[in-house]
This record gives sequence, structure tokens and C-alpha cells, in this order.
Amino acid sequence: MTVTTAVPAPEPALSVRQILALERVAAGEPEVVAGAGQLDRPVRWVHVAEAADVGVMLNGGEMVLTTGVLLAGDARIQTEYIRSLDRAEAAAVVLGLGRAFPAPPESMRRAAERCGMPMVVLHRPFPFAELTEEVQSRLVRRKFAAVSLSEAVRTALTGLITSGAPLQRLLDEIAGHSACPVVLTNLAHRVLATAGERSAVDDVLRDWERIARQAGGNEGDGWIRADIGGRGEQWGRLMLCGYRGDIETGRLLADRGAEALVLHRLLGGTVAAWEEQSAQSLLTDVLSGVVPARQLLPRARAAGLPVNRRTFVPLVVRDGDSGRLGRVLRLLGMPGLVAELADGFTAVLLSLARDQDADALAVHFAARLRTGGGSRPVVAAAAPRTAWEDVPAGLREALHVAEATADTPVDQDLPVLVRLRDVRLRGLVRLLRDDPHVQAFAERELDGLLCGGGDGDPDLLPVLRTYLATGRNKSLTAQLHHVSRPALYRRLEAIEARLGVDLDDFEQAASLHIALLAHDAQRR
Amino acid sequence: MSRVVRAAVFQTAWTGDKESMIQVHEQAARDAAAQGAQVLCFQELFYGPYFCQVQDKKFYEYAEQIPDGPIVKRFQVLARELGIVLILPMYEEEQPGVLYNTAAVIDADGSYLGKYRKTHIPQVQGFWEKFYFRPGHSDWPVFETAAGKIGVYICYDRHFPEGWRALGLAGAEIVFNPSATSRGLSAYLWQLEQPAAAVANEYFVGAINRVGVEELGDNDFYGTSYFVDPEAQFVGEVASDKDTELVVRDLDMAKLREVRDRWQFYRDRAPGAYTPLTAP
Repeated sequence: MTVTTAVPAPEPALSVRQILALERVAAGEPEVVAGAGQLDRPVRWVHVAEAADVGVMLNGGEMVLTTGVLLAGDARIQTEYIRSLDRAEAAAVVLGLGRAFPAPPESMRRAAERCGMPMVVLHRPFPFAELTEEVQSRLVRRKFAAVSLSEAVRTALTGLITSGAPLQRLLDEIAGHSACPVVLTNLAHRVLATAGERSAVDDVLRDWERIARQAGGNEGDGWIRADIGGRGEQWGRLMLCGYRGDIETGRLLADRGAEALVLHRLLGGTVAAWEEQSAQSLLTDVLSGVVPARQLLPRARAAGLPVNRRTFVPLVVRDGDSGRLGRVLRLLGMPGLVAELADGFTAVLLSLARDQDADALAVHFAARLRTGGGSRPVVAAAAPRTAWEDVPAGLREALHVAEATADTPVDQDLPVLVRLRDVRLRGLVRLLRDDPHVQAFAERELDGLLCGGGDGDPDLLPVLRTYLATGRNKSLTAQLHHVSRPALYRRLEAIEARLGVDLDDFEQAASLHIALLAHDAQRR
Repeated sequence: MSRVVRAAVFQTAWTGDKESMIQVHEQAARDAAAQGAQVLCFQELFYGPYFCQVQDKKFYEYAEQIPDGPIVKRFQVLARELGIVLILPMYEEEQPGVLYNTAAVIDADGSYLGKYRKTHIPQVQGFWEKFYFRPGHSDWPVFETAAGKIGVYICYDRHFPEGWRALGLAGAEIVFNPSATSRGLSAYLWQLEQPAAAVANEYFVGAINRVGVEELGDNDFYGTSYFVDPEAQFVGEVASDKDTELVVRDLDMAKLREVRDRWQFYRDRAPGAYTPLTAP
């Protein structure tokens, strides 16, 4: 497992400026006499050292305290002392005046200025032990707080993973700690999931192309990135966008988040599943109409769908496997999103160049789905849309068409690509199925068969359905129900008697046909 | 109005036999043409397995005459029917015992424009190419096709910046880099070298890699074919690392001019100072 950030996270530190501002330190009347431009350097530790070759004792990042007793009287040693600190990458030097020097020695000051090393003198006698105690305890507390936060986040995320929480829940947890938008992308910078306050996330997505190209560029502005990968492969990236706390804490959160996502994927998630969830969430929102289409445009673009100067073809596939649909799209080189909806329907939104023949390519896609054996899905299409704002209505139209085909066997009378005009009356009935007048009409027309009764024949309704669907073809109906023609005649007579109708009368037969379509539509 | 070239590359897995492999590529050409693609490049040694994972002379039989062999003829007919420029990376037999790793270029009217023979031949674990191919000396041809000026630089060639430059100097607008490369070996280079070449030479690059693990070895071909523009930006998304995929992208040639007007690499290069590079 690998989780990496652009730079290894340093230990929590105080800056030279922050230390000089501490109340107990101020009692020593500190004065910065050199390197005033470097006061934001982080101090990792405080160390008291009088030796002239102090550098060999340091690891870098120390604030070194000295009285200068071993340096007095020799400008060359004083200069070398500062250089030695600089070579060891010490953060600053603090000289207590009084014991060796009544005033800041000029050679030390000049050397410090040249090296850009903050040099501070304390004008009042000040016990160094007090300063080290104060600073070290603060540094330790900071380290402890970081470890504690790290553990808290890790525990929360691990708990979510072991309880089977979905990806979105993990991201929400990370966003809860970071208080900024959190974005998960694949390696192509396609946004797979986001978390955080909606409007802030939308702001980020609106500018996503530019942000994605700069990702990892400047952590100083609170853009913190963690790579996600394992088993020698990188899968994606997690980004905290505009984190407002200190960088170290932000990196810690990004790292913990990335670790959790690696675990989540290793325990069964896949990047493909993440991509699918992302498309599903987007297309579900498009279909629902709850969020205006315009507001969803940045999400669509960030999800990798080309949206500028495109023709959108809304499709809904019945009985299609979403994995296969995605593979066929790739095989044909057509950009699009695939998302499973409820009840065996899958939405596919194609995005084609304006000069391409959208109808022909949609047929091409549907025809290819039928090759290669296995199930033969039904592909319903709405008219192509050139405005993104019209896509929700288009997807709803395609879903409506797909639903209207639900009672039709795949091979019967359905073109490769089914459109609104192909579902005719069935489509209209489907649209009106929840209307109480239509429901009452169906009940009224079919009452005699639906109520049954003691002498009811449960086969009569299917026989009537077949008889009407075949255009009142008696021999075909008998054949499909595996009965003799005389037996069929008897059943048709029974139906006429139960319903009080004459099936040879066109209008009465048509009325029953519509009632049956409405009845069937309500039952699905 | 700038010129936009709709270009395509196709990555796929070894089907197990040469004829079905050819048919898969014929279908890909039809799919690309259905989308209005003007040019399509296949993967390296497109109709075979990547047999260089082993050293076995039985694979010599995959080599064909270019342009007089049956595969070039077959795709000439298809190119004419579909009106699409085709780049066919193949195993070429000039004469028995003289074999090359070659790409044939067919124009949109079916005419044969010429070929490029791979210059740099690797001989490393899983890529035993010196067993199969002589190095080509093709003088960096750039083909004037119906879809623009096109160069080809095959697989291992891409590690050598000199050829990229030579193709740029010869006027290439799009350079295709058909490849067969394995995850463990080159994944860290795949999205680095070709974008760098596109930037350095200020043209478009189409990179193609096959997918899957074949029966001849452990090489895990990781696909992820793509087009990259002269600013090193991928044009659309990078393809799948596992699945067969046709990548069709619109390449706006105005970008090439725009970048060359901004960066004058061709003006400022100093060939007189490069003599040591051509010293034997």
C-alpha cells in the first residue's frame, strides 16, 4: 500500500516568531538583530550549546541558545559559530547578553545577516531552562495533538470501512474534519466523488480543468493532494481543496483519507465501481430534476463527459448489464456516461460532436449491443439534444419509452433503437397509468374477468390479451396457448359473456385492448 | 476556420488467431469511420500476439510483404471503402531472412503511401526483438495523407528523442507511436515520454498500447492509449488499462501553430552544436 504526498510531512513546529511572542520569553526582552526576514522558519527543538563547533551536535531546525562565554574576544570564532549553525540548518540563534557580551557582537550579527540566520539577543538575564521548558512542552503538546487527531480520524474511517459504509460516507467523514471540499479523482482527473458543502464543491468543479492541471502544485494555498495506490499501481488522487488550517494538519487528513480509500478499494471496491457510482449519482440527479440542469454541468464536465458544442443522445437500456454497456462504448470510442437506474433499466448519455450523425451512431451503438450473444437488451432513445438544459427531459423521455416496452418481448416488433413513436398507444397509456380516470376505466372494462368468482377461469385474461395483441387472430391465439380452435372459441365466448361485450365489434375490442394495456402498466 | 483532424487509435487484446485479430481491426476501422474519423492507427504488430516475449522462429511466418502482401491489400480496399487513412503496424518480410518491424501507411483512397521501419530494436527481458527484426533505416518519412502530415515512431523508438525531432523537422503534424509495452517495465514512462516529445517537437502524438496478458509470457500490456497535444495536454481521456477501446479525438491544428508561434524551438535549435550526437 502506498500513500504519498508531494512532500513528507514535517513534525509539528512553532515558528521563530511564535516563540519570541510567548509571554515567558518576552520577559527576557528579546530583540531581533539579524535575519528578520526569516522569522517564520519552523523550530523543531530548542537546544542550549556553548561549544564553538556547535553545528556537529545539531540535526537541523533547532533554535540554539547561548551565553557566548566560549566565543568572547575572537571575531573569527564568532563568525565561524554562526556559519556552523547555518551549515547545520539551525532555525535561529538566541544570545543572552550579560555574561560574555554586554551588547550584540558585530561580527556575529554580520555573519548571521549574511546567512539569513535569525539572531536574537535577550537584553535581560533569563534562565534558559525556562525557555526550553516552555517551548519543548508546547512542541510536545502539538505533536501529541497531531497524533491524537491522526488516530481519531483513522479510527473513525476504519470503523466506517468495517461497517461496510459506501465511498461517499468516507469522503463525508474526511470533509467533516477538513471543513473544505474534498474531491476524489481517477488518474485522468475525472471526478469520481466529492464531499463538503455543496456550493463550495460546485465552485471547485466549475473551475475543475484548471485546478486539475495544477493539482499538487501549490500546497501553500491549501490545495493538498494525496495519491492513492497499491500493489505497485496508482489508482487515483484525493484532494483537499482550499484547506484553511495549517498545511501539516491538512496533509495528515489527506493521508489518512487516502489510506482509508486504499483499504476500501482493497476490500472489494474497484475504481470502475467508483466511476460507476459517480455517473449514477450524476444521472440520477439529472433525471430527478430536483437540481437545475445548469448547476449539474460542472459535475458532468468533471466526470469526464465532453459538454462543449456537443449533441447529447439520451438512452435508457432495458435488461442491459452496465459493465457491458461501458465496454461497448469504449469499443466504439463513443464518449458517454453509464448509470444503473432501478428496475433493470440503465441510463446511457452519449456526447457526440455536433457534426456527427447522432441518430446513426445511436443505432450503431444499439446494434453492437445485440451482437456477441447473451441477453438482447432493448435500447430506448429520446431525440438528440444540443442544449444541456434539455438533457433531463430527454432522459425522462427515454426512460418512459423503455418502460413502455416493458411488456413487449424483445424480439417482437421492436426496432434496434426504440423511440417514442415506436411505442405508440402503449407509450400513451404508460404515461397516463397513474391517472384515476384511467384506472377506473380499466377496472370497469375488465371487471368481469378481474373479479373472477366461483366459476372464474384464471386463463381467460391471458387469452384475451393474446387475442387482442394478435389482431384477433384466432388460429395464432390457439397455437400460442396450446389449445384447439374449438377450445379457444369456448373461451372467447366465456369472455364475451363475463364482460358483456361483442369481441367482433372493433370499438369494443379496442376499448378492452386499451383497458388491458392500462391494467398491465399499473401492475409493473 | 482552423483545420480539425478527427483521429483515432485502437487498442485491443490478442484474440488467439490471426484471422479473427484482423477482423477485430476491420470492425474497428468501420466503427472509427462511423464516427467520422479521418485517420486510424493500430497497435504494434497488430494482427499477432506480441511474440517477442519468446524467441521462436515459428513466428517468422507472421511476416508479410509490404505493400504486396495480402494484409496490406485487404486494408487498402477497406480504406478506400471507408475513406479513412490507415496506419498498419506489421511484421514485414523484405525477403526470407530479412525482417522488419514496420508500419505501412494507406491513404483514404486506398493508395499505398509508404512505410516506416522501426529504427531502435530492444533486446531485454520479455522484449527479445533483435531475434525477429533488423533495425530500419527509413530516413524519417512523413506521409502526406488526406488527414494531414503523419509520421510513425514505433514502440521502443520513443525512448530516443532524435527520431521524434527528425519527424518534426520533416513536417509531421501527428506522430503515431504504436506500442506493445508492459506494466512492470514502462508504466512510469508511458505518460511522460510522448507528452514530452509532443512539447519538444510541437505536434500531436497518438500513443497506442495493446491490452491484456497473452499466452506467450507474463507481460501485462496496459493499454491507456491516448492523444496528447503540443502543450502536453491529453486530448480527452486516456483509454482503459484493461479493455479493448477505440479512441476518437478531434485534434485542432490551430493549436500546433499557436504553440509554435509562442515557442520558437525550430528557429532556435542549434544543429551545428550537435555534431557529437551523430559521431559514431
